[in-house]
Amino acid sequence: MLTKATVVSMAAAAIAMLPGAVLAESPTVKEIQERGTMLCSGHNGSYFGFVEVNDKNEWKGLDIDICRALTTAILGDPEKAQIVPLSWAQRFPALQSGDVDIIIKATGWTMGRDTELGLQFSLPYFFGGTQFMAHGELGITDATGLEGGTICVEAGTTIERISANYMSTIGVEHTIVSYESAAELRAAYLANRCDAFAGWGPNLAVLRATEIDNPDAHIILSDKLSSEPIAAAMRQGDEDFVDVVNWMLAALLIAEEEGVTKANVAEMAATPPNPRVARLLGVEPGMGERLGLRETWAREMIAAMGNFGEIYDRNLGKDSAYNLDRGLNNLWSHGGVLYAPILD
Amino acid sequence: MATAMELRTRAKRRKLIIQGALIVLSVIVVLGAIQSARVNLAALGITSGFGFLERGTGWDYSFSLIPKSINDPYSKTLFIGFLNMMFVGFISIILSTIFGFLFGTARDASNIALKTAASVYVQIFRNIPLILQLIFLYSVLIHFPGPRQAMSIADAVFLSNRGVMIPGLNVPPSVALGLLIASLLLVAVLILLKTPLMRGLLYWLGGTVFGCIAAALIFAPAGESIFSIPALAGLRFRGGITVPIELAAMIVSIVLYGSAYIAEVVRGGLNQVPRGLTEAGQALGLTPRYIWSRIKLPMALRSIIPPLVNQWIFIMKATTIGVAIGFSDLFMLVSTSITQSGQTLELIAILMLAFLLVNFAIAQFGNWLNARMKLKAH
Repeated sequence: MLTKATVVSMAAAAIAMLPGAVLAESPTVKEIQERGTMLCSGHNGSYFGFVEVNDKNEWKGLDIDICRALTTAILGDPEKAQIVPLSWAQRFPALQSGDVDIIIKATGWTMGRDTELGLQFSLPYFFGGTQFMAHGELGITDATGLEGGTICVEAGTTIERISANYMSTIGVEHTIVSYESAAELRAAYLANRCDAFAGWGPNLAVLRATEIDNPDAHIILSDKLSSEPIAAAMRQGDEDFVDVVNWMLAALLIAEEEGVTKANVAEMAATPPNPRVARLLGVEPGMGERLGLRETWAREMIAAMGNFGEIYDRNLGKDSAYNLDRGLNNLWSHGGVLYAPILD
Repeated sequence: MATAMELRTRAKRRKLIIQGALIVLSVIVVLGAIQSARVNLAALGITSGFGFLERGTGWDYSFSLIPKSINDPYSKTLFIGFLNMMFVGFISIILSTIFGFLFGTARDASNIALKTAASVYVQIFRNIPLILQLIFLYSVLIHFPGPRQAMSIADAVFLSNRGVMIPGLNVPPSVALGLLIASLLLVAVLILLKTPLMRGLLYWLGGTVFGCIAAALIFAPAGESIFSIPALAGLRFRGGITVPIELAAMIVSIVLYGSAYIAEVVRGGLNQVPRGLTEAGQALGLTPRYIWSRIKLPMALRSIIPPLVNQWIFIMKATTIGVAIGFSDLFMLVSTSITQSGQTLELIAILMLAFLLVNFAIAQFGNWLNARMKLKAH
């Protein structure tokens, strides 16, 4: 028989075993801590550079690393992130039904998602626009050359809307074929089923750089259809969780601004060069308590994953196979549009 | 006597009460599910209801029988999906039935070569999952030459990885749709008038060809040919009728799979005809063809129809595989609408209702057909 006393003492023991035993205010964070794992969104296959499976059957990519960073912030260990494979179409129902705690998967912030779908978004952490890639043999440089052509697109994405809208604006008659899976889409484009491939700029560049045998046979058209703010999506109604995610992203950016890296974080924490770094790394109190996390969460996170620049370079930039320029996705002080809120 | 009557009434009453209770219980369960869904959706901040049907979609898809635009409301987009599903479904049902009867008969034939060929066909296409066949066929088809290197037959019919381009009548799509409906009506009239099969086919073919030529003469733009022949213009073919490769792949793979199953149903039916009847036919000196059409088939039809109707319903449901190759069937459009509008429950309900309606209608038609075919004296 379970008596009330045993239940209470068991619960107390369970709480005491949690790392740091800090009680989160957010119900989502509380649930994650009780479960001991963080459920993140994966992909049904590989979305190169962002959410991909490598040959050792491990998940990697920018979005996966950000999820691991969040897991470290909440649970203290990046390995506690559990990646749930989801198609584009499944991601929102999965979030709403609690199959994942958060969607960090190249997801654009739209009004419909923000209002009717009952989601709320974090600060944008990436900017990328819709573009077209076409077969080089067509000899075209922009979308007007696609008159009468066929464009392939992934079904259920914002790209589908943006390209339809753009093509009707410039009045180019065309046919659309939409596929549910990225693999089907890529195969169809490479087999010349379609003249052009509407996709997300960074993704097209990654595809062209690595997945296609002869990158020069394909051209990314000059039209820039949009610049989408990419943000993490959460269920509406848990403002404290949004705060945690926003400050997790902010900490990655502040670390990059201040030059705190995976390699020097311990040293920086021992002798902080300025009060901002001291607060960031939990040497001075404030960072943890106000979010209901451990004071040193940001230090542990940077020690495990590195700062935003390191995450970018590892997955998309100069240390990856794709070697994408940072462009807009650099700090404001380096010509990009990424900035962190003020850490006071 | 009186007690027996009384017992019977009591039993009847008991059954009524049980049934009533079951109905009340199911109503409560359904209402409870709706109520709990509503409460949960409201708690999650998701807008529910069917208001989104009036909103424009803003996205495009591959195939439609009627003109479409990205400004269409969700209701029209879903209706187009329904039309596409019916279009693929009915073409596949008709073709599968025809080929199924041919192969089923061949499996029952005495000619060994014919029998083996039909058996191999059935075993191959029946035993490989439909979705696998579709994806395989599609991967083969998209590796055909592109439109500018299209294979051509007499410069009128073209085959490329964009689709099959065939000459068509030079009439607006609405007239073409009208012709199709008129042709189907003619079939219905001929069946109602109980015209013999061969003569009926002749009338139908003649009537349809005549209708097409008459329509083309009236509706073709002045000074243009009554036929529209496909010709390469830029990145695509202009003129004629283009059967997109996705549509072709859908129909071919569903027909291969469906006809293999129907062939088995037909073979089973033919097997059930007592050998004595065939032998009686032979004793009378009837030719094998006559024995098949006058003795075996009419007898077999009675056991073929119920499982055949099952196959028809199955084929209708199989139209949902379009999503694997980018064909905009109802399921694909519902699935895209779910991500684009977020109205999961409403859209799934619409999808289920559409399939329920169509398949219920097919089942009712099957019942009617079965009743008509019943031996009158039995």
